[in-house]
Amino acid sequence: MEVCARTNVTLREFGCEQTLLSRPDGSASFVQGDTSVMAAVYGPAEVKVSKEIYDRATLEVLIQPKVGLPSVRERSQEQCVRETCEASLLLTLHPRSSLTLILQLIHDDGSRLSCFLNAACMALMDAGLPMNCLFCGVTCAINADSEIITDPTAAQEKESRALMTFAIDSKEQRVMMSYTTGSFSVHELQQCIAVSQKASENIFQFYRDSVRRRYSKNL
Amino acid sequence: MKDTPLSNCERDFLLKAIEEKKRLDGRQTYDYRKMKITFGTDYGCCFVDLGRTRVMAQVSGELVAPKENRPNEGIMFFNIELSPMASPAFEQGRQSELSVKLNRQLERCLRNSKCIDTESLCVVSGVKVWQIRVDVHMLNHDGNLMDAASIAAITALCHFKRPDVGIQGDEVTVYSPEERDPIPLSIYHMPISVSFSFFQQGTYLLVDPCEREERVMDGLLMIAMNKHREICSIQSSGGIMLLKEQVMRCSKIASVKVSEITELISKALENDKRARKAGGRCGFAESMPQERITALKTDETSVEMTDASETANDIVQKAEVPLQTVPSPVVPAPGVGQVGEGLQNTWGLEEEEDGDEEEEEQQMEEEQDEKEDSREGDVVEISDSEEEEVVILHPETQDKTSKKAASSSNQKGAETSKQRKKN
Amino acid sequence: MFSGLREKVGQVLVPGDEFCLEIPETLSLSEPMKPEKVLLGPGLKRKGDRKLLVVKSGVLRHKQPHVFWVENQQRRYVPARGETVIGIITVKSGDVFKVDVGGSEQASLSYLAFEGATKRNRPNVQVGDLVFAQFSVANQHMEPELVCVDSAGRANGMGVFGAGGLLFSVSLGLIRRLLRPRSDVLSDLQKLLPCELVVGMNGRLWARASSVQQTLVVSNLLQSCDTMSPPQRQQLFRRAAQGAL
Repeated sequence: MEVCARTNVTLREFGCEQTLLSRPDGSASFVQGDTSVMAAVYGPAEVKVSKEIYDRATLEVLIQPKVGLPSVRERSQEQCVRETCEASLLLTLHPRSSLTLILQLIHDDGSRLSCFLNAACMALMDAGLPMNCLFCGVTCAINADSEIITDPTAAQEKESRALMTFAIDSKEQRVMMSYTTGSFSVHELQQCIAVSQKASENIFQFYRDSVRRRYSKNL
Repeated sequence: MKDTPLSNCERDFLLKAIEEKKRLDGRQTYDYRKMKITFGTDYGCCFVDLGRTRVMAQVSGELVAPKENRPNEGIMFFNIELSPMASPAFEQGRQSELSVKLNRQLERCLRNSKCIDTESLCVVSGVKVWQIRVDVHMLNHDGNLMDAASIAAITALCHFKRPDVGIQGDEVTVYSPEERDPIPLSIYHMPISVSFSFFQQGTYLLVDPCEREERVMDGLLMIAMNKHREICSIQSSGGIMLLKEQVMRCSKIASVKVSEITELISKALENDKRARKAGGRCGFAESMPQERITALKTDETSVEMTDASETANDIVQKAEVPLQTVPSPVVPAPGVGQVGEGLQNTWGLEEEEDGDEEEEEQQMEEEQDEKEDSREGDVVEISDSEEEEVVILHPETQDKTSKKAASSSNQKGAETSKQRKKN
Repeated sequence: MFSGLREKVGQVLVPGDEFCLEIPETLSLSEPMKPEKVLLGPGLKRKGDRKLLVVKSGVLRHKQPHVFWVENQQRRYVPARGETVIGIITVKSGDVFKVDVGGSEQASLSYLAFEGATKRNRPNVQVGDLVFAQFSVANQHMEPELVCVDSAGRANGMGVFGAGGLLFSVSLGLIRRLLRPRSDVLSDLQKLLPCELVVGMNGRLWARASSVQQTLVVSNLLQSCDTMSPPQRQQLFRRAAQGAL
């Protein structure tokens, strides 16, 4: 099962907007092609005594789908996002407080989980929460011809043999979280990780550019 | 999370300002905040911005069996979600009073007013009808959620197009949007709710209260009306006593406001229809404001892949050889399948391994003689635990080795305890 | 030693950026070596022995001789010792008031921490009052504590206040700009309208002018000039001077 390395792997166009809501402490919307997600962060705020942890902040992630009530699929994606955020936030600076991250799906056209991760990172940066590294999400799909497609659309996801989402950190481009469905070989997995690491460089550069643009005004 | 409490000085100042007919943001008493309506990528998705209050509505449809007492009518389902994003006081999952109140008002405004022709949603009478579901999500709470929700819901219903269905005898075919154009819903009229907040026991009233004004108000009057000046629902909450003239005045103001809002909605729908016909992409992505410094967009980028495949190959070659696994279920006998291999039991409690065990043990004892004495007492104590009560797996050898079993299990206890201590 | 840090002053940094301490390759034995120290403000953390880590996104700023920090546009306040804030009394229980300061916990304020307060002479404080106080204890491990007196026992402007004015929230960046020694925003505002202003470092502002209309003008102006550059702000103030008054 050899994977032919395509040299024209592409990411769809992306865009983001920060501080678009007035109530949350930090908010951001992230758009990848037609998939768009809105994220909001509240924290560090008061925490219920039943949920407080004596030496760290309690991070809660809520994913709201567009239609209907949250189901098991949302819960498992919440778990993935929460683990990634806990690894990159400095939670010990705010013990006995709560951080709440709410993600609202606006439109789903594939690469849902990576869009959630990207929006989460931008919202956490906007809220000014201390982080020790940035993270981004990249989705890879392996289609029936054993080609790797990054940032697949919903149609491409349906036809794929395997679908993988990786959360990559900004300091050493290592994998923080991976979520895979479908069958693939070890070789293909390593190829996809290598492709995701390369793609994450574009995304981190985008983060930097948007933050630079945000602070470009002399106040 | 709790919301920040309202201080006495804020309350006093707001009431004093209202008595002087001044509002916090400089509006007049009957002015609405700036309203903006945008649409999403697919049909039925609508965003409404009322000042800083932001609301999203999504309409979706599916085929279900109809209700028994109404076999000819489609089903409408409304759901307002107070997302925790909108305010720190909203909690996920908890049905708060406000959520129940808003849901009930939206249902009365849209369902009981019969604004949608539910009979046209029937496909096969008594068997299949369309269920139209409207989900309204609150994104930011800066007051007057009810009006924003009702505008978003009715606009989304006007924007929505359901798939076309073909009926041939008993068969029902649902055509996808590519095969046949989807059909809009048939809407008789557009009920829109207008909220009035009352202060000082009904003396002063304000239209479209913002969040702080809502906190100091005495009561709220909500009138749902359409542009033909028909009242669809009236609700008064807060226990204030209103005079007949006040209610009549409010309904006159409401009719003026509703006609303005209806015009705005029609204009927005027109613009969207034109944009879609022109073939351009429309949706949330396109409606992102580009000139703001808090927003940024890039085009489709390609990823540099030159050395990625080499690093991947390196990693795979340097990695260890994976364990050999049995590829598919093995059938040792007809009717019996085995997946995976049974591995040797390494617990050291089976009789046939006694010999090896004791040899090993003796070697270990030779090496660690001096420790043995100090641990003798410990070993006895530890072997008081479950180790002794473990079932011996081969009953035929039990009589022969029963004594041996007792002593060997003692020693086994010692061995496992040594292993534990080593770990 | 931290020349890398000095080079980046004024640039935008994101979390995850690191600065390494450079050890000079040759140590001179004849000249006296002065240990160089660096004071890290918000947004910078020390990592291990030789590295500095940026933990917030923003612009790197520098103040002579050796203070560095990352300036960002945050809205949420985290209590810090010595800062003066505007709090709202939420609970009055026995000897201690609980005050909401906008942080992750409510702060406590003892009734004896007011000027001239004794066990017999209790201060007149009700639930819902505004109080201007200073943090005496504020770290991540303990409940924050406020006092309304300075170390000499005098009120120094602190205490209960608020009648007749309006309380509103702005971002922490605007608060810092208002509290600078020669603040542009404050001087522009003073030229426009005479008003009384209390600035709480937790993002809360209280304003009172001679009439309700003028107070509303002041609050709206300050809330809008949060994200404006100096020329835009001056234009806004000029328009307000001509129009509203």
